[in-house]
Amino acid sequence: MGYVAVRGGERAILQAEAFFRWLNGKPGMEFLRQLEVHLPYLLDRVMGEGSLYAPELAAQAIAQTGGDLYEAVLLLRAYRTTQPRLAYAEPLTPEAMLTVRRISAAFKDIPGGQVLGPSLDYSHRVLQPEEPPKAPAGPPAALHFPRVADWHRLTGLLPIAPPDPTPPSAIPDLTREPLLFPAPRAHRLQALSRADSGGVLALGYADMRGYSGAGGTHPTVNEVRLAYAEVRLRHPTTGAVFSAGRVRYSQAEVVTKFKEVNGKPGLELGFAATLGWNEVKLIAAAMLDAAMNRPDGHPAHQEEFVLMHTEPVEASGFCIHYKLPHYVTFGSDLDALRRARSEEAVE
Amino acid sequence: MSLARLTRPRQDYTYAFLDAYAKRELRRRILKAIAIPGYQVPYASREVPIARGWGTGGLQATLALVGPQDVVKVIDQGDDDSVNAANLRRFIARFAGVRTTTDALEATLIQSRHRIPEEILGRQQVLVLQVPIPEPLYRVEPSYAQARELHAEAEYGLAWLDLYEALVRYRTSTQGADYPVLVGGRYLMAPSPIPRWDTPKLHRAEHLTLLAAGREKRLYAVPPYTEVRPLEFSDVPFEVEDQRGWIDEALGVRNKFMTEIPLPDGSVRYRVSDTGYARKLREGRAPGPTYFDDTGAFYIAGFLAERRKLGAKGKSQSEKPM
Repeated sequence: MGYVAVRGGERAILQAEAFFRWLNGKPGMEFLRQLEVHLPYLLDRVMGEGSLYAPELAAQAIAQTGGDLYEAVLLLRAYRTTQPRLAYAEPLTPEAMLTVRRISAAFKDIPGGQVLGPSLDYSHRVLQPEEPPKAPAGPPAALHFPRVADWHRLTGLLPIAPPDPTPPSAIPDLTREPLLFPAPRAHRLQALSRADSGGVLALGYADMRGYSGAGGTHPTVNEVRLAYAEVRLRHPTTGAVFSAGRVRYSQAEVVTKFKEVNGKPGLELGFAATLGWNEVKLIAAAMLDAAMNRPDGHPAHQEEFVLMHTEPVEASGFCIHYKLPHYVTFGSDLDALRRARSEEAVE
Repeated sequence: MSLARLTRPRQDYTYAFLDAYAKRELRRRILKAIAIPGYQVPYASREVPIARGWGTGGLQATLALVGPQDVVKVIDQGDDDSVNAANLRRFIARFAGVRTTTDALEATLIQSRHRIPEEILGRQQVLVLQVPIPEPLYRVEPSYAQARELHAEAEYGLAWLDLYEALVRYRTSTQGADYPVLVGGRYLMAPSPIPRWDTPKLHRAEHLTLLAAGREKRLYAVPPYTEVRPLEFSDVPFEVEDQRGWIDEALGVRNKFMTEIPLPDGSVRYRVSDTGYARKLREGRAPGPTYFDDTGAFYIAGFLAERRKLGAKGKSQSEKPM
């Protein structure tokens, strides 16, 4: 009769949770601290998708769920949504962030220079590597860099974007308003920012491969950045701007080829940014952003398709909901099926 | 007088879990939904501490409405004791401090996944239905943005065509649960995947029904005494599941919605799906009046068309289960 018919359903669920905890043990504080120190990219992914920058809580969430990342993201989200809005941070400009890695595929050299920063891109992917390569430190890179897209704007290849005068508190907030289509740009960028890394990659990859009649969009990565950013707040009484803390932050820009810009052929920008460092997701998301500006028949070029289906909490939750009993709906379907199979249906 | 006497005990969460802003938004959306019967009101839909797709929309509606005086019942597929129902009930009781019950008539607030109780609900009661897919047009129009325009223009031709195509292809409607209804003669509505047996119970009901989808962020309502009519052609009437002849042997009951339980020898036995109702019968307590009487007649005479006769060959139910 299965789990539905278990009498004492409440006792059953308590025991199921106790069994899970018993199997996985109780992680100590030292382990949580180790997670923070040694698995920052794991924490970044969970914090980005959870849209809550809190390394201690992310480590706690990962440990508490035995490393089930969708569950960990849900834990952060469910906590985050109960927290009040105390203040809105000042906008973050690329010039102000402390950039540690910044590369462009569009040019051999860029104003400010290419900075590889910390990366495994050119490591040999062998298990149990020997000691990390020793290389003498070069001259320190600059802390701040201009944006590559500014060069395109200067040369007229990209349209000049006037500064957006919207105060931070008036920016549409996806976590406090429903997502409707066509979505405000702020909602789109927020949705991509907290989107499921794997989901964004799958759809972005479908776009990159050009799986549509129209062929691929083949954008060029204009700039990828990993940085530390100050969360700058304005003091409510003195009005002074101060830093409330420092977060890991990353962003990616891609440029499309040959779009019509102000009546002339030009480039178009795709952009994505997130809390934490997550290059794969951001490159895919920036490409999707560009593709969504010019929707065509390709599902990954349509805002509604992309944003609705890359929501990690909703997608994973709905997927596992199929474990719930469906015998009433299935019974109703069976009834319709039996009627269609019988020969007595409507003449 | 000590300081301790002036303060309240520390609370880590607000009453009924949701913060005041979330509750305010939900209550406003609920009022709008009641004001426009059958219209899907978008809302922010907060994350709650259970998995998305497991009744988070219904839970938000319940938490926005619940007060200390309420008596709450939670059912899943008709069953009070199903693990997910038990979990939601535990959560609501824990954060709202309310009394819970399995009695559909005693409850002031009923959260349900895919069933409406068999006993007729009254005007003091609110039924919250969990909704997986709120958009009745999704079968014919996958885009919400497009579907919203179709609703705005009351353009439901595609839904009728869908119904017609099933008739042409299979000579019968192929819709199982979640049979689309027209609310107040205006909005096409997905009643959530309740069996067709429960669909007519929404018509001119005395109670308020709220339908909330957490994942899809839509909330809608059937206010009391609202016309709710299933889509049907005048010559091909809507029909509830054909369970004539099904008997719950343990209770000796027929003409209540049944769950079919397969047995190893290929036969089946039937159990009343509404466990709260079954419990009353088992304990010898008199249940209230039911939407369908013991002969299977619906309580609003004439609302449902005359049932088709059992098949000419009389085999519709004797056919072996598939």
